[in-house]
Amino acid sequence: MTILSDVDPLRKRITDEMESLAQRVAERVLELVLHAVDLNEIIRQVDLNALLAQVDIDNGILARVDLNTVLDRVDVNALLDRVDVDRVLARVDVDRLLARADVDAVVQRVDVTALIDRVDINEVAGRLDMDRLVEQTDLGAIIARSSGGMATEALDAARSGAVGLDQFIDRWVTRLLRMKKARPMAPGAPLNGEAQP
Amino acid sequence: MSARSRPADWVGAQGNYAGSVSRLTAYLIDLMVISGLFWLFLAFLSFAVQVVTGRTITWHKGNLLVIICYVVWHLFYLGFSWAASGRSLGMFVLGVHVVRADGARLEPRRGWLRALVFPLGFLTLGLGYLTMLVQRERRALYDLVAGTAVVYEWDARAARLRFLAREAEPGHSPGQQ
Repeated sequence: MTILSDVDPLRKRITDEMESLAQRVAERVLELVLHAVDLNEIIRQVDLNALLAQVDIDNGILARVDLNTVLDRVDVNALLDRVDVDRVLARVDVDRLLARADVDAVVQRVDVTALIDRVDINEVAGRLDMDRLVEQTDLGAIIARSSGGMATEALDAARSGAVGLDQFIDRWVTRLLRMKKARPMAPGAPLNGEAQP
Repeated sequence: MSARSRPADWVGAQGNYAGSVSRLTAYLIDLMVISGLFWLFLAFLSFAVQVVTGRTITWHKGNLLVIICYVVWHLFYLGFSWAASGRSLGMFVLGVHVVRADGARLEPRRGWLRALVFPLGFLTLGLGYLTMLVQRERRALYDLVAGTAVVYEWDARAARLRFLAREAEPGHSPGQQ
């Protein structure tokens, strides 16, 4: 049995009222004190550097932070949507960036053989404008000197002349006979006029 | 409509059925070679007989034996050329080649067969040759019988480069061949 259980109800009521009064008085006093105190002045007097120096950020705060949980809550897509990439790129000085790049080192790391293996040389050669190449470089003179014998020239002239006449007669026969269908390609004929060796 | 062709046309014709002018010109060259060799042989034979026997032999174009020998020699020359390499000397000059109708290389047997039926062109009064003008694959009557075709097989691409090289040479006037 405690002491409080022994007091009579009248005494208990007086005690409650006294407590309530004391509470109100304390609240009022605190209100008056806060009114009277200049908090800005107090904060100005606080040496924040000294305060922060006493805080152990590494072990006291960061050790308690679960970064994975924090990152899980971050919506990266929303974050990226808010980034103006054009503006970021506009601020990049590409010339300065390239000036800092060691191009030789980059080239040395390139496997040129593997690169060439992936290039279709035939397709590249097929795209060459041989007419212009022969006309505008010394290649024409080289070809003419190396393969331009009188006999070769005579054969070329005879053959090309005959082909021209063949095609001329063919066009007339096609016209006279009103042949609608073009003549078929010979089986085994190279496509696109690709020459045989 | 001009008969003058561009270098690109030569390359485009490469491997395709040869036209009548190329084939006729090739045959005319062969005819000259056949006739020349035949008369050379006859002259040599006359000389040999004269040396051995002291008698002079004169050959006449109208002589039946000479005609038969000439025809046989003619067909032998063509048959041997086609069976051996798929082309005669004239065909080499014009850059054309006899192949099988399906484009494959000619077997010797088919080359001889082509020579054997070659006279069909004459025997049909030239109609056998005219089929090469109207037939879609430019095959003459004897080609149809022997299962052969004639295609361009000269290196037109190299010829085109040589042509362009000659054109590009300093001092060369355009159009001059």
